[in-house]
Order: sequence, then structure tokens, then C-alpha cells
Amino acid sequence: MKTIAVIFGSRSAEHDISIVTALSAIIKPLEATKKYKIEAVYIAKDGSWYWDEKLKDIKLYQSGAIDEFMRKAPKVQLQFDNGLTLVKSSQFAGRKAYKKIDVVFPATHGTHGEDGELMGLLEMANVPYVGCDVPSSAVAMDKVLSKLQTQAYGIVSPKMKFFTKSEYSENVEGWLKAIKTDLKMPLFVKPARLGSSIGITRVENEKELVNAIEVALHYDEKALVEEAVANLIEVTVPIIGNDELIPASVEQPLPKDDGVFDFETKYMNQGKGGKKMSGGKAGAQGYSKIPADISKDLYDKSLETALGVYKAVGCQGIARIDLLIDSKAKKVYFNEINPLPGSLYNHNWRASGWSNVDLVTRLVDLAEERWNAKQKLTTTFSTNFLKQF
Amino acid sequence: MTVIIDGIATNYVQEGSGPTVVLLHGWGDSLKTFDGLAKSLKRNYTVVRLDLPGFGGSDAPKETFSLSKYAAFTADFLNKIGQEHIYAYLGHSNGGAVCIKGLASGVLCSDKLVLIASAGIRSDYQGKKKVLRLAAKAAKLPTNLLPKQTQNKLKKRVYGAIGSDLFVAEHLQDTFKKVVSEDVVAEAAMIAQPTLILYGKQDTATPPSYGERYAHQIEKSNLIILDRAGHFVHHDAPTKVDTAIEEFLV
Repeated sequence: MKTIAVIFGSRSAEHDISIVTALSAIIKPLEATKKYKIEAVYIAKDGSWYWDEKLKDIKLYQSGAIDEFMRKAPKVQLQFDNGLTLVKSSQFAGRKAYKKIDVVFPATHGTHGEDGELMGLLEMANVPYVGCDVPSSAVAMDKVLSKLQTQAYGIVSPKMKFFTKSEYSENVEGWLKAIKTDLKMPLFVKPARLGSSIGITRVENEKELVNAIEVALHYDEKALVEEAVANLIEVTVPIIGNDELIPASVEQPLPKDDGVFDFETKYMNQGKGGKKMSGGKAGAQGYSKIPADISKDLYDKSLETALGVYKAVGCQGIARIDLLIDSKAKKVYFNEINPLPGSLYNHNWRASGWSNVDLVTRLVDLAEERWNAKQKLTTTFSTNFLKQF
Repeated sequence: MTVIIDGIATNYVQEGSGPTVVLLHGWGDSLKTFDGLAKSLKRNYTVVRLDLPGFGGSDAPKETFSLSKYAAFTADFLNKIGQEHIYAYLGHSNGGAVCIKGLASGVLCSDKLVLIASAGIRSDYQGKKKVLRLAAKAAKLPTNLLPKQTQNKLKKRVYGAIGSDLFVAEHLQDTFKKVVSEDVVAEAAMIAQPTLILYGKQDTATPPSYGERYAHQIEKSNLIILDRAGHFVHHDAPTKVDTAIEEFLV
């Protein structure tokens, strides 16, 4: 029986969401297959790693007992032995417990995980892992880089300006003038590398713009300001695959009355904040329509754009592509990529005919296929360089 | 919406139009406590409510805050969002104490004031503190043998039983200790604004006697004690509270 380590938590604003993704959307269906032995690996908010069966119980986190658990439990060490082995004190006669891992299923959202950092560690260990690799994760999590990358492939995104904290603070007036000259209000101001709509502000005038930039740069060293899309319909497309891509349905999240699909609507209200329209379903992240209530032409354009983005950024395994549609101009814009969608967006996959078990099993297979293909590459070659020294 | 005030990401909601009414929530609470009240007020007023540092969607303060600091923070916040003239402040519980401190010192400025179950009278708390100190000393030895988690649970229960909010926001314990050591009764005498004072008859956290003391101190005040209402008067008797406030603000 293969052993899969599901790694979740981490030092991220989306730490708690990651726990739900890991426990309900990944560990449960993987265990239901009876094909794998699942090891739960939790990264605490302070960055410490823990590995224990108890970590599979949601009540541990809900009750706050996790603090007591962490006080007593041994921390995990990682052993890189052309593969990955988890090591911890067995708390018995100074012995250590070891567990060789066959596949890793990362379930971290946001910083220190979904952004490619965890994938770098797994690449160094040379262990198969689910989802996007280092470069695609890093590009996907950076709203500026992902837009620049996809623009090179002819994919359209809203007109934008971007800057780092130091660039902005050195020339505030210059940046404000450039934004006013080149972009049309209303605008969205966003931290470049933060997920879950944290720190995003819609602005209508210069006063709001100044405050919004300050907010975005409070959360990230890099921010972008982009034009809002008129006559907006937001849609999102979950996709899986390495070379052969399979899209789920085009889904239409339904925003709150104020038109903002923010962190609260996504995670806190469980849909209560969304406008409940006929056919709307309360998914993992609020109300949405599956499939989206748009014309066939726009539906097809959305699928085409999403698949184009996935390929342009080099996503693998799984990702979700968010798009913005101008319903009058019939134009589809790329908005952002989620390399690891919350709860794998399994509500959409279920609506598209994939059970939770089908989804996680396929993702594990894709991880192994990519790893096997990579083993065939030559990564070293012999030279007499050292002998000449 | 969010703005950055003194390096603190501050969550706020601004809605409606007309003269500006600013709502300040109590300890361990958030701007959501005023969802119902804001809904009726926004028909005639610009209603601004914020999550004070450490609560709701706002960052925790990096230093220990006092009532004066919360008042100064509120003034900076209003200045930043361009609210220059405030028609009325409305404070619930600890938010009321912040209003009194700010208006008495001139850090805040408004035409009117509404206090709902306002805190800021600390004589009771000093008594509770003494009892707590004695109880803590007596309980320390036997509880030291218990696991840390059980010790913490027990502590929370004891503090809760004596009506202390020390563990309501554990990350703000130093600020809490600072805030509850500040009594604003004397300062309330300096409030010249017409003031509406609302208390719940069944309130045990800030009993109606607090309202009577504030009414005595504030010259142009009107005290209303609502029956079948506890500390969250605006939740327990929403219609009566809405009507009283709307009539007062006209």
C-alpha cells in the first residue's frame, strides 16, 4: 500500500482554510479508496511541522486542543534520501519513528506553500507530489507575473500598473499621475501575491486610490492597480491535467449585494452573503451557479481562455482559473490563478460528474506520471572539470 | 473597506448619506453588533462604524492601548477617510467609555452623543480584582498540578464567573488591564453635548445604576432604562432603541 503525506496549515492567512481542504476534501476521500495509507502532516502557524494520526480530526483544531497537542507532540524532521522520509521521536526509549513517503499531496493555501516554496522542498527530496510545480506555482500566485506571462501568449487581462513598496514610496506623485493618466476609474487595487481577496479594494476616486494602495502594500511588497471590467460577470474554471487537460464546468460565483466576492463571502458566510438566485448552489465558497448562466459563445470563450492560461503558466495537476467577462462587449479577461483551489473545488467537479474519490485518485496518478516522466530526464553529466583543478 | 491607520489595517463600513454618525463597539465585539441599528440609521445619516484595533477584521495593536489611545485612533481614522464633521458618536459598552474619554478631552468632537450600556465606571471592577487576586492565590497550588490546557480552561471559567472580560480577547490582555483601570465618571461631567443614555434593566455587566451616575454627571442628558433588556440593549430591544435614537438625533 502506497503512503501519501497530506501537508497542510502553514504560515498563511489561509491556514484554517487549508485544514478544511486537507481533512475533508483530500484525506477523507483518499482513505475511502483503501488504496493508500495517509499520513497527516500539519504545519503550525509558527512554521513547526507535526505528523500524527490525531491531526486528522477537525475537532482538534475547533476545540483549541491543538495548542496542547503541539506542546507535547514531537516535531517532525525531514530526511531526504532520494525520496522523503518523515522522522519524529517515538517518545519511547529514545527511539525514532520513520515513515517513507511515496507521494505528497500539498494542501496548503497562500504563502509558504501554494506559492511554490513547499514544492521546492519536495523537488529537492525528489518525491512525487500533486499539483503545480515550483515555477508555475510561483507565477500563478503572483498576479503581476501571471498576467505578464499570459499576455505573452495573447491572453487579455485588464489594463494595469504595478510597483513595489519602495518604487511607490520613492515617487508617490509620479505613480498616482501615471495611474490617473493611463487607467480609467473605477479601479481595483490588489496585493500581488495574496490569495482569498485579502487587501483588495475597489476605488472610485484618487482619495480612495491612495488609501487602497497603502492597504495593498500593508500586505505585500508588490501591488497592482487595474481597471475594473464593466458589465461584469465573474466566472471560474477548475482544470486538472498535466499535458492532457480536463476542465470542469464554468462556474459563476454570486457576489454579495455590494458586488464584491471577498474573503467573507468566500469562506465566512458559507453563501449567506451571496445573492441566492434560482439554480444557485451553496458550494465550499458561497453561492454559485454551475454551469454559469452565460451564452454558449461566452461559455466556450471562457473555457478556451482558461485552458490557454493553464498552459501558458505551465500549471500541472490542478488549478482554478478566474475570469472576468464584460457581458456587453462579450469579452473575456483573465483575472487570476489558484494553483490549489479551496477544497479542490470538489463541488464543481461533483457537478461535472467527478466524485471526490475520482478527483483525488486522478490527482495522485497525475503526480506519479509527472514524476516518472521527470526521472527519464538527464540531470547530471560527467566532466573532467574537477580533475583539471 | 480597509484603511491603514498607524500601521494597523482597519476594517470599516460606511453607508447611507446625511450628517455623520459614528458607531463604536464594545470589548470583544465588532462593528457587526450594529448591523440592525445601522440599517435604520443609514436612511437619514452617513453611518460609519469600524472594528477597533484587535477586534473583528482589524489588526491587533502592536502596543498597549488605553481609552485615550482608542479615542485618538478613532479621530485619526475619521480624518483619513475624510469625515471632518461628526454629528454624533454612539458607543456601546467600552465604545461608550472611548466616546466619553475622547469628547471630554477634545480629541473627538461632535454635536451629540449616544451611550448604550456604557462602561467606564470601574469601582466595581476594582472590587472584583481584589476578590480575583485572593482566589487566584488560593487556587494556584492545587491547579499547578493540572495540565496547562485544564489550567487555562479553569482560569477562563473563573474570570468569566466574576464577570471579567480578561479572556474575551486573550491577545489584548495588557490593553484590557489598562482599559479597565480607567474610570471616566469624572470626565463625563465635561461633556457639553446633548446626550442620550440607554441602559437595559437586566444588564449585569453595566447595570442601570451606571446610567444614573452618567446622567447625573452629564448636564444635558436623558436617561432611558429599557425593561427586558440586558447589556446588548440594541439587540434585546431593537425597535425601542432605534426609535429613541432617531427621535434624539433629529
